[in-house]
Amino acid sequence: MKHPLRAAALGLALALTPACASLQLGETQIDNPISAARTLDQRAYALLNAYAAVIEEATDIVRDPSAPLAFKRALGQAERVATPAAESLQIAVTAYVRARADFEAASGASQPALERAATALTIAAQRLSRAIEAARAPVSELEDLVRARRG
Amino acid sequence: MLNLIMQLQMLLAALSMFLPLVPAESRIRAAEIIDVVAKTLAAGNAIGANLDDLAAKLAAIRAEVEAMASAGRAVSGEELEAAMTRVRTASAAFRAALETAEAGAR
Repeated sequence: MKHPLRAAALGLALALTPACASLQLGETQIDNPISAARTLDQRAYALLNAYAAVIEEATDIVRDPSAPLAFKRALGQAERVATPAAESLQIAVTAYVRARADFEAASGASQPALERAATALTIAAQRLSRAIEAARAPVSELEDLVRARRG
Repeated sequence: MLNLIMQLQMLLAALSMFLPLVPAESRIRAAEIIDVVAKTLAAGNAIGANLDDLAAKLAAIRAEVEAMASAGRAVSGEELEAAMTRVRTASAAFRAALETAEAGAR
């Protein structure tokens, strides 16, 4: 054999190729907890917790000395928009939970009291729905930034 | 992500085996390039682990919400308060870290 070393290298490289090919590409998947929820309060709960997880990761990026300052500032800007949206969401979901409890408590009450509680619950549900929609975009923006850096 | 990096590392290892095939005058340069790529991939591996952290956290939240949904259970006020406390704590830590980063850049 003229070049035994080269032949051995080629053989080893070819032997490793199937091992490379057998690995799954991009196996890490980001679960969307909000899509698992069935009710408004569950969606709000999932969104708040998911947002907290995203900020925790964003904090790690900001603490990373190798991350560019401009990127850290972009994260800061996104967080300043998303956190007030999360606070509004928390207010809306708390009001909704209270209105739902009032409605359940009014089930044995008079018809006008029941109607009032039902109206209050409907309004609270509409407000919560709007708060969820309002919070989703800024939370997604921060999450996209974190994923762009991490991915 | 980690598997993607591992796949690239294995590919790199396979490529490095071709080094003896490279003409002698370019071999050192090729080895240097492979070394730089290997170091970059190692750094990417650490970053990928953090991405996996986020994926694990989101998967845990999803599992909790799925359990709530399948049981038809409403979220309690305490659970909502705990979620918001987590947001506030994370937000405060984030802002403090950003301030430190800004101060370090000055």
